[in-house]
Amino acid sequence: MNLTKKLALLAFSSTMAIASVAKAETTIDFWSQPYGDQIKWQESYEALIEKYEASQSDVKVNFEILPWSDSRTKWLAIAQGGAAPDCADMWWLHSFSAIGGDKYGPMPLGDLASKLPIDEFYPGAMQDASWRGDIYGVPWRGDVRLMLYRSDAMKEAGIEDAPDTWDEVVEVAKKLTVRDGNNVTRWGYGFGTSAKIVDWLMPLYWQAGGEFMTEDGKTATIDNDAMRTALKWMHDMVNVHKVADPDSFEKGYVARPLFVANRVAMFGSAEQAWGKRMEAENPEVNGLWSFARSAKGPEDRDSFSGAGYLGVLRGTEKAEACVNWLSFLAKDENMQALSEASGNVATKPAVMASEFWTDRPYKLVVAEALQDAHTSQHPAPAWSAVSTSEPGGILYDMIYSTVIEQKDMDEAIKKAQGLMQAELDRTE
Amino acid sequence: MSEKNLFCYLMVAPALFLTLILGVYPMIDTMIISFQDYDLLTLQSGGVNWVGIDNYSKILADERFVQTIWQTVWMTVLAILFSVSAGLLLAQIINVNFKGRGILRTVVLSPWFVPPVTASAIWIWLLNTNASPINQVLMDWGLIDSNIRFLADSTTWGPFNIPMLSVVAVRSWNGLPIIIIFLLAGLQSIPKSLYEAADMDGAGMFQKFYHVTLPMLRPVLMILLALLFLGGFGHFEMNYVMTGGGPRNLTNVLAVWTYQEGFQFLRYGKAAAASGIILLMTITISIFYLWVESKDNRK
Repeated sequence: MNLTKKLALLAFSSTMAIASVAKAETTIDFWSQPYGDQIKWQESYEALIEKYEASQSDVKVNFEILPWSDSRTKWLAIAQGGAAPDCADMWWLHSFSAIGGDKYGPMPLGDLASKLPIDEFYPGAMQDASWRGDIYGVPWRGDVRLMLYRSDAMKEAGIEDAPDTWDEVVEVAKKLTVRDGNNVTRWGYGFGTSAKIVDWLMPLYWQAGGEFMTEDGKTATIDNDAMRTALKWMHDMVNVHKVADPDSFEKGYVARPLFVANRVAMFGSAEQAWGKRMEAENPEVNGLWSFARSAKGPEDRDSFSGAGYLGVLRGTEKAEACVNWLSFLAKDENMQALSEASGNVATKPAVMASEFWTDRPYKLVVAEALQDAHTSQHPAPAWSAVSTSEPGGILYDMIYSTVIEQKDMDEAIKKAQGLMQAELDRTE
Repeated sequence: MSEKNLFCYLMVAPALFLTLILGVYPMIDTMIISFQDYDLLTLQSGGVNWVGIDNYSKILADERFVQTIWQTVWMTVLAILFSVSAGLLLAQIINVNFKGRGILRTVVLSPWFVPPVTASAIWIWLLNTNASPINQVLMDWGLIDSNIRFLADSTTWGPFNIPMLSVVAVRSWNGLPIIIIFLLAGLQSIPKSLYEAADMDGAGMFQKFYHVTLPMLRPVLMILLALLFLGGFGHFEMNYVMTGGGPRNLTNVLAVWTYQEGFQFLRYGKAAAASGIILLMTITISIFYLWVESKDNRK
């Protein structure tokens, strides 16, 4: 081989090598909050990434876990231009989109959305991945809440079936409440397992026939009879029937140890992920608890539902690679893997029909409860501020002053309506 | 500049640089934001405008905020009072040579090993109305006939209430070890001859404490009090984790209020103004400390 040929071969080989290196250098940064056991969650994702990378020669996925303790501040920083991954498991789409505007935060997918199997998801779940007509990704987890009760306490009180209506809840809660002198050793009812008391009001208000705002997210709609009905029911459970613990409205209240210790017999709005968590972490109460669909209020039995979605961040130059990765994750078997690892309900009917979601009685109830799901996202960027469960929060203060301080309900609702409208106007 | 001075400047330069970047710059930036209508929800669409002292006027017109300022002061004063009193007593005991001193030292210093957030989580359970072992013991002894709502009772006596005292007690417990270490160092630096002279003068235990120990501990106590006030005015973790400022805002403190305003309600301008108030309070303490120090030095 003469020198010219050798040089040509060398140049060709070098070009090919450089090309292949360049091709393999597409790495997308992907973040996820942890769900359930963090190590198992990491392993689940690593297995999916391995599978994905084996099917793609040119894309690598750099996976990082974003702890929940940092999640809120991190996403707030990202929505203001902080260092962001290319794509991620996200939440609060409406607020972070509003904060980021068209510069930072979640990125509408535009034409790239056609690569995703949008039609295969529950339409309700897609609400959490869409905003103002744009699709931002695919929903991957649901957080539907339903009734949770101690079946042993029910049996002990001679009650056969879980209560089905608000009136039945009151009667059952009275029977389940156990008093010892001035103290209550077991409360018959708890409003919710989440520490956020605004989350407790939401399903009750919907069940009473209310909606927090108009569909365009511009007008607050809480000064009405439905809100009075919901708040009066909460008030009466605490102060008239005395079956719900007033301390549960305070920050330090932690629900699960009390439920496990049989100090609270029933929760009206329990996170379904508790099922998997209690099976794994509290085996001593296996067989002693059950789920049931939310009790029906005066109008219907809507249940709180939240969802997380997998989306892309503005500023990335790898949007297409991200969407391909999300498209891979959106396949039934991969959604199944994520659902199994996290214990969260899936957002695809095909996954909810799988053996995993039908092998226990409580899971069947969870799947059944999906028909009651009402999204907790609202079409207003300021909803996150309105619904904050902290002193000073508009809905929080309204609930607290009505139920705990027992102040004038009409006045509290009227004040909250005015403040909430001002918040909705804040972003107009 | 002499070679020695240059060496000194070089040695402090890294620390100074980090302080400027991580301490001074964010502080100045926060103060700038406190004079702007910096609203996270409208930042991209509406931008940021100067509003002068508008944020300060608004928060100071808010009854809940004014209540929060007073509570911050009260809780800090009470926590310092409890912990320094207990610290003085325990440091004296630990300073004496006796069998088992090592064990006592370990026990007394153990709260230091528990991070505040973890300590809060533990105490939340210990102070839970229905599950508290403290309530159980008090009931068994016949001292109470209904459970004390340690973190939820909103009955007030002037500025005080049970949740406030509960949080103060936990803050004092968690802060005690560092106080003891400071005081122990101070006690060990007091010459024994002073106590021997006091003995010869016929001084009793309390007289020795009042006329020897306290004056000799004064420099340590001054710096300790200054640090405790500075830290106390900005305290966040335990109040936030244990009560979130409730019930009825009765345990809210400025740092928690600031966090809620900034990260929950997304109004950075007002949150920064609240930080400005904290800064003002800490500057006041610092100036007071420096004034007392310089007065002492002039004597």
